[in-house]
Amino acid sequence: MNTTEFIQLILRDAALAAVAAIGFAVISNPSRKAVAVSALLAAIGHGLRFALIHSLKLDISLATFVAASCIGLLSILFARIIHCPAEVFSFPSLLPMIPGLFAYRTILGLIKFMRTADVVKSQGYMLDFMHNGLTTMFILFALVVGVSLPVLFFPKTSFSVTRKY
Amino acid sequence: MTQRSIQKEPNIQEIADLLTDIAAELMTTGAHTMRIIQNISRMASTFGYYIELSVFQLSIMMTITSKENSTERLTLIKKTRPLALNFTIVSDLSALSWDTFDKNLTYDKIKQRYHDIVTRKRMSRWLVLFLVGCANAAFCALFKGDLYAIGLVFFATLFGFFCRQEMVKKHINHLIVFTTSAFIASLLAGLGYVFQLGTTPEIALASSVLFLIPGVPLINSILDIIEGHVLTGIARLVNASSLIVCIALGLFVSMLILGLEKL
Repeated sequence: MNTTEFIQLILRDAALAAVAAIGFAVISNPSRKAVAVSALLAAIGHGLRFALIHSLKLDISLATFVAASCIGLLSILFARIIHCPAEVFSFPSLLPMIPGLFAYRTILGLIKFMRTADVVKSQGYMLDFMHNGLTTMFILFALVVGVSLPVLFFPKTSFSVTRKY
Repeated sequence: MTQRSIQKEPNIQEIADLLTDIAAELMTTGAHTMRIIQNISRMASTFGYYIELSVFQLSIMMTITSKENSTERLTLIKKTRPLALNFTIVSDLSALSWDTFDKNLTYDKIKQRYHDIVTRKRMSRWLVLFLVGCANAAFCALFKGDLYAIGLVFFATLFGFFCRQEMVKKHINHLIVFTTSAFIASLLAGLGYVFQLGTTPEIALASSVLFLIPGVPLINSILDIIEGHVLTGIARLVNASSLIVCIALGLFVSMLILGLEKL
């Protein structure tokens, strides 16, 4: 894969993540400005994660952690600009990274394990279940810890962004 | 103080009522515990009171004490309504608490603005429906689904989310709402398997129910646990997990009906 192709792939990933973020953001009814910012942050975060996984061969949960901290830092910056609590747009921008497919495979593995009597097969299903379940959990923790690290470092700033003076 | 003494001084009961209303509203609309406590204590200190606040899943407990006279105190418990995310309210109430602090707003003015904020109209439900459909289709594309899968997911999401909106309007139990919506969406997406559309029908099936994943409650729960509100965090986590189990249940039922359980 050459560089231009790779950049195209990253851009495609970022654009899709932005569309997903807009859709998931409007469920929680934020203001228009917050929707725009969350689309931008989702594009940056998801694109960064894609680049990290495919260029540096990082593990998915580690890459998610880096992307989420990036979103967290940027969200504090944007929160100061548009006077809106950071989580209003940082949460929706994390949603495209929620490990839905892994969660689905976890449940599927559990159901298959439950319904089979074959010992050898059921060991494989248990392995699937553990692998996907642990990945789901670690990605979730990476998302939340990553996005809240900046909040823990600058608590004063992040709680006073809606102040207008 | 001179400005406020012209008007009728609000008594401790009125202030406590308003503050617990705002706290319950913040809990309902999806703020995390730390933000609720910060906002409410800020407003209370403007009126010259301390507060101690305990936030639980179904109720909020608050003790309010006067700074000047510590025998003047009151404890209230207020029920919260079921979760209905609304981040405009969270951010406006947060701004209102700072305005109260900085501009010394009067009690009546705060009450008026609180009323305006909570009665403001939501975004059009049809626009939300369309955007959620697009979002889930984009999700499917992110997981490398082909065009058939993307189209299927778009329509499955439209139907599933429409059912969810209708059922929420009729105040049906939210566990049933999630199970039924997941069932309908996955049943429609599973048709790709039945008619052999495209090469990635399994991705269509898996991503058709992702619009239901309770992302904000999950993030809030971990945030609460990190900030030390472990009990509230675990309550939120259990709630979110039971919703995920319901989604899985709906998916499982439609897989049984379509005869896909041997996958």
